[in-house]
Amino acid sequence: MIEDNASTAPPARPIWEVVVWVLVGLMVGFAVGGLLGGLLGGLYGQFFLTSAEVGAGFINGVKQGFLYVGAAGALLGGGWCATLRFNPQTLRKLKRFYGIKRGYWSLILLAGAFSISLLGQFFVNNRALVVVHEGQTYFPALPFAASHTGVDFGMETDAEGQEYSYEVNYRELKAHFQSAGKGTVVMPLVPYSPEETRRIGDGTQHPSPPNFEARHFLGTDPIGQDIFARLFYGFRITLIFALMFTLVVYLIGVVIGCLMGYYGSWVDLLGQRAVEVWQNIPFLYMVIIAVAAISDLPFKLPAWFKILVLLIIMVLFSWTSMTYYMRTSILREKSRDYVAAAQMLGASTPRIIFNHLLPNTISTIVTFMPFTVATAIISITALDYLGFGLPSGTPSWGRMLQQGVANLHAPWIVLSAFTAMVMVLTLVTFIGEAVREAFDPKKFTTYE
Amino acid sequence: MKTKLTGFLLAAALIWAGGCNQKQLKKPASTGDDKPAAAAAMSEDHVRQMAQVFAQEFAAELKRQNVTLANGGTGQTGPVVPTPPVGRAVTLKSAPDVMEFYEANPDGFTVAQPGDLPSGLEWVTGAELEEFASPEAKRGGTFMEYTSDYPRTLRFVGPDANGAFRSYMLDYNAVYLVMPHPNGDGYYPGLAKEWAYGPDGRTVFFRIDPDARYSDGKPLKVTDFFFGLYMMRSKHIQAPWYNDYFSDEKFENVTIYDEQTLSIRFYKAKPDVIEKIAGLRPVPEHFYGELDEQYVEDFQFKFEPTLGAYEVKTDNVKSGESVTLTRVPGWWADKKRFFRNRFNPDAIKVTVVREPAKVFELFLKGDLDWHGLALPEYWYEKLPDDHELVKNGHVEKIQFHNDVPRPTWAVRLNSNHPVLSNQDIRVGMNYALNFSAVIEKCFRNDYERMRTVADGYGPRSHPNLKARAFSVEKAKEQFAKAGYTELGPDGILRTPAGKRLSFVFTTPYKRLDEAGVMTVLKEEAKKAGVELQVEVMERTAAWKKISEKKHEMMLGALNTSVEMYPRFWEPYHSDNAYKEDKADRYDANGKLKPGLTPKPVTNSFTLMADHEIDGLIERYRESEDLKEITQLSHTLIQKIHDHGAYVPGWVRPWYRVGQWRWVKYPKDYNVRESREPFEFHIHWIDSDEKARTLKAMEDGKASGAASIRVFDKYKLD
Repeated sequence: MIEDNASTAPPARPIWEVVVWVLVGLMVGFAVGGLLGGLLGGLYGQFFLTSAEVGAGFINGVKQGFLYVGAAGALLGGGWCATLRFNPQTLRKLKRFYGIKRGYWSLILLAGAFSISLLGQFFVNNRALVVVHEGQTYFPALPFAASHTGVDFGMETDAEGQEYSYEVNYRELKAHFQSAGKGTVVMPLVPYSPEETRRIGDGTQHPSPPNFEARHFLGTDPIGQDIFARLFYGFRITLIFALMFTLVVYLIGVVIGCLMGYYGSWVDLLGQRAVEVWQNIPFLYMVIIAVAAISDLPFKLPAWFKILVLLIIMVLFSWTSMTYYMRTSILREKSRDYVAAAQMLGASTPRIIFNHLLPNTISTIVTFMPFTVATAIISITALDYLGFGLPSGTPSWGRMLQQGVANLHAPWIVLSAFTAMVMVLTLVTFIGEAVREAFDPKKFTTYE
Repeated sequence: MKTKLTGFLLAAALIWAGGCNQKQLKKPASTGDDKPAAAAAMSEDHVRQMAQVFAQEFAAELKRQNVTLANGGTGQTGPVVPTPPVGRAVTLKSAPDVMEFYEANPDGFTVAQPGDLPSGLEWVTGAELEEFASPEAKRGGTFMEYTSDYPRTLRFVGPDANGAFRSYMLDYNAVYLVMPHPNGDGYYPGLAKEWAYGPDGRTVFFRIDPDARYSDGKPLKVTDFFFGLYMMRSKHIQAPWYNDYFSDEKFENVTIYDEQTLSIRFYKAKPDVIEKIAGLRPVPEHFYGELDEQYVEDFQFKFEPTLGAYEVKTDNVKSGESVTLTRVPGWWADKKRFFRNRFNPDAIKVTVVREPAKVFELFLKGDLDWHGLALPEYWYEKLPDDHELVKNGHVEKIQFHNDVPRPTWAVRLNSNHPVLSNQDIRVGMNYALNFSAVIEKCFRNDYERMRTVADGYGPRSHPNLKARAFSVEKAKEQFAKAGYTELGPDGILRTPAGKRLSFVFTTPYKRLDEAGVMTVLKEEAKKAGVELQVEVMERTAAWKKISEKKHEMMLGALNTSVEMYPRFWEPYHSDNAYKEDKADRYDANGKLKPGLTPKPVTNSFTLMADHEIDGLIERYRESEDLKEITQLSHTLIQKIHDHGAYVPGWVRPWYRVGQWRWVKYPKDYNVRESREPFEFHIHWIDSDEKARTLKAMEDGKASGAASIRVFDKYKLD
């Protein structure tokens, strides 16, 4: 559609190119940095951090390493990538992608939803956005905000007559302020957190159907958790998980595939056999074993750590297929003249692989990517459905589907989860199709 | 009777799904075997291992105890009848291997002369007890049941013999010497016409009913009791649990006086000794002759002639599809007082249906006569009161309150844990675990809070003690005593040094997590400033962790059996908590020493070790006086409550069923000690009603008023 490459001078860099590069850099940087930092931090924590409990040092190390090194990696990656530019061909492909409106809008929609979900606690949360009490203003929904007890706001006992010395329920506080005629509470749009169960009201049972007045927009599940909140946070976790998964799988798969393809001969032969052996290890059993093994460790593991372990296991058993595609692409490309030219000029092997070969195989990588994201979403959902996925209590789509199937008399559960799943997968598939079309090598590659 | 006896092992039987009387799940829990109940619940190896450990420990324990104290039994009040004239003497004529076995143990098997019977025995017959079946019962019809697994064997013992099908063939069918009355105290006559306690309180004399006949028409012989022991002690049956339970250390002696009279001596004069003794089942010697190593294979699908009402004929075994039990023609006990009006259907057809969803559909079609409705979703949603079948009176919904010991759904705190070893923390946890919220939110207020560590044992249960109710204030007070005084920014209590009050909360029951139990407990505990890190593990892995005592706190249940008095030694005696010798466990002041090694593979999930409790349990185990046992039981329940490592959860004090209109029942529906609706066979099928109902359904008419009934005669307040 956009074929206006008549001008010969390199065009000025449009701002979106920088943005795309920075985003890519941030993500890759964070993934690589986070993983490295987690590993190193764990080791550091295990041996150097003092802690009150066994294993807490390790966990802390992983956490801090992941966050800080990950952030540093993101900055570095973003900064470095900001200086990069696409080669004219890629630029053309990207423009072409922009021209495919269905895929383009799908991307915008998904990216928008994901961004909103990252700021989720301001939209879906049982903590209030703003509380004004006796001249003081509090912002409990902010991250790291201190928790306030009911007593702090002048509620001595809770609804059941218990001492209100624990974090106040802001919905109750709002009602309290309204009846007392003082103070203000501003709740988020959906005033529920995903792990919160609600009491059964007078005469109502859970699961209860959608109720706009109570702001249960999609109803509740059998134990009174808000479905919208679970769906929302489930989306966030699933998508983060899928993106991380995809990035790491590609990093490993691409590097190993490139090496196999470039060196050929025995490296290729051995590499392929090794991959075949590795592929034949049954993935599900490994997940079961690993889940059992980490539960057997002599120290406590926080939920996020279990998610990380799950991610690592899934990555370990998923990088293999990518190597085949990369290997073939590189095998084809390396016999081209430009590779020979680069070799003649004395370019180092990494330079040839990553600077010359890789950009020419980008279409292989990019076209598979959205589908890998979709696969990851399905895998994590399926694992959850089977009970080997995210730790108990984490909002997850798989568990919602399972709940829904077990409670078909409450169709809003299964419908919500199913619709959300279909929508996200459809968006991802639209993006994938558009990318594939935009990057289709037949359109742009000319063979001599 | 079998269910009452299958003693020690049952404690190891970790049940598959409490709070759920869906048949295929619950059945295994009611039996015990070399492969204990609900083997499905845990890995078989693990169970076997546990069983062996228990067996060994019991054997050791029994050796230590050598008691000969006179006791008048359970205060039988039957009328005294004079000892009737004795019958002819018996000479043993068995196969060589069997004879050799008897001769090798002359103390265990005695053939006495009719004149040797002690005089002055007070014979009782249980005649004062009331019948529990209904005189309105009608004979005939076929009762339609299902099983989720085709039975792997028709043997009563040996590998795979503990499947769900066993209860049809044996547990709910067999007739024992005497049988405990299911509506209360006392025993009614089974194979024995009358019986008498010996002066030592551990020997019971029986005079067997001359009418008793096996399903193959051969009469019951008094020597079949000898053969019963021969079989139960045989290595060929490949059932170590039976080998141990019926060992000569427990069943010390059987004496035959004449063709109808025998006595059995147990090792200990427990108040319910007759129940243990009557568990010795006669085995038809004429059917087996002698046993060899081929037994397990040869008898895999051969049905042993039974003294019970139903038999399995070879023609009625449709491999992989169904097994039909038929009523023994001219059954010997047909007109006997406690057996008449029972075992009414002509046949029981047990069809294999593997899918739970399909089972329910078959029930709705009328192909199965009943379906369990214990799960709220079945009672409220799948078969609601306004369901067509219920509204039109085709299907009845019944809730029956029984009164039996129930699976112990409770949180067990590991008192060997550095923080949980503090009693203040443990008691605080009792206040912090909000089971009433669980019952409300997850079980729709259908269940009740468990009161103590031993509910459902009648007078042996504590009369008024109740579990501590959820209280933020009291919990925080207890935690403050232990030094957790500050509330962190995350809402969790901590010590001034920064140690947070946080525990890993393990459960092997994914079903509970799905029902929200773990989420609610976690959420509520946070109010009291405790963080629970929920850990729902794959079943085998979880039990492995728990039995290795690596858990911090766990939610789960052990099954219980209907018994006269509860067991304390297995779960609460320090013998089962720590490996060290008893003398090394406590210091001079009776305080637990630090650094002890937890003992794996026992039922002591609380690792309770308290010098005083140990002493009380030992006295309790030694005691042969029911009054003392009752009193000690109350004291122990109180002490365990004070100790705080056992946080009582919930009980399901009833079972709920949906049954078709043509399944009729006595006016109180069932007996007090029934754990399943058709256990005691007091129901009957009204074939005319069945035809009418099916016709009405076809015509789209109602067959009667809707019937949703609650039977709460045995409900405790």
